[in-house]
Amino acid sequence: MTTRDRYMLELEGMLSVIPEVQRKEWLYDYYIHFQQAVENGQSEEDAALELGDPKLIANEILLSYRVGQAEKTGSFGKLSKAVFATVSLGLFNVIFILGPYLALAAVILALWASAAAVALSGVAVIIESVWNDTFSLAQAFTVCLITSAIALLLFIGLKSLTTSFYKLTLKYLKFSTRIVKGNNK
Amino acid sequence: MNIQFKKGVLEICVLVLATRGDRYGYELAVKISEKFEVAVGSVYPLLSRLTQDGYFSTYLKESNEGPPRKYYQLTQEGWSHMRRLIAEWESFTKSVNEIVEEGLKP
Repeated sequence: MTTRDRYMLELEGMLSVIPEVQRKEWLYDYYIHFQQAVENGQSEEDAALELGDPKLIANEILLSYRVGQAEKTGSFGKLSKAVFATVSLGLFNVIFILGPYLALAAVILALWASAAAVALSGVAVIIESVWNDTFSLAQAFTVCLITSAIALLLFIGLKSLTTSFYKLTLKYLKFSTRIVKGNNK
Repeated sequence: MNIQFKKGVLEICVLVLATRGDRYGYELAVKISEKFEVAVGSVYPLLSRLTQDGYFSTYLKESNEGPPRKYYQLTQEGWSHMRRLIAEWESFTKSVNEIVEEGLKP
């Protein structure tokens, strides 16, 4: 096996999560690079050395892929993966990206839970009133109506808050990777 | 040269290199790594990021030897993005130079 094959295999192995078409396209750059380096009279060993550690290269490629996915789909799973891909680029990111991300995500989750609790409390009042006659049915329904309205407003507000959190995280990821990207040399 | 520094300016250099006609990946990667000591392999992810952001468009072209090469062409947005970065860079270096000169005055 030549140095080129070894390098390409190692790189490809680490990029297995990326769908084949896109993965092949990214790998093609490196394949061609070897080709051209050899044409220019360089040895494959030198070319591999010059390209850098395949692990670091794979991390950078994975990061662009994750951020791209998160941007396209808008799902929180994808966003978290992008955050973790950034974190894998260095210790710096654990402090400046993962920490704030987890903290803010927890706050937003807590807010959603509170809004849900408010919504449920109205229903609980009705059930309680039917069961134990604590309030008259009319009173219970009024309370339920009020809490539902409050919950609805909370949901609307939270939805836009969550969307901006998502967008800001992506922006921040892109910004910080521009600074940290490739501390590999 | 400082790493953080290098990475910040890499983007400008890649964009500027493509202003005089389309370049293929290898050309850009080697040109960049000649000047700055960066891993050549990390230029490619940068290129694909800039392509994703719409600053480059790419096309394949047959070469005399070997497989077709991937060429990078600066788009309209690429041009304005580059100008914006250069303006930022110039005001940044100007400020740094002023402070350095002030500080080193006898």
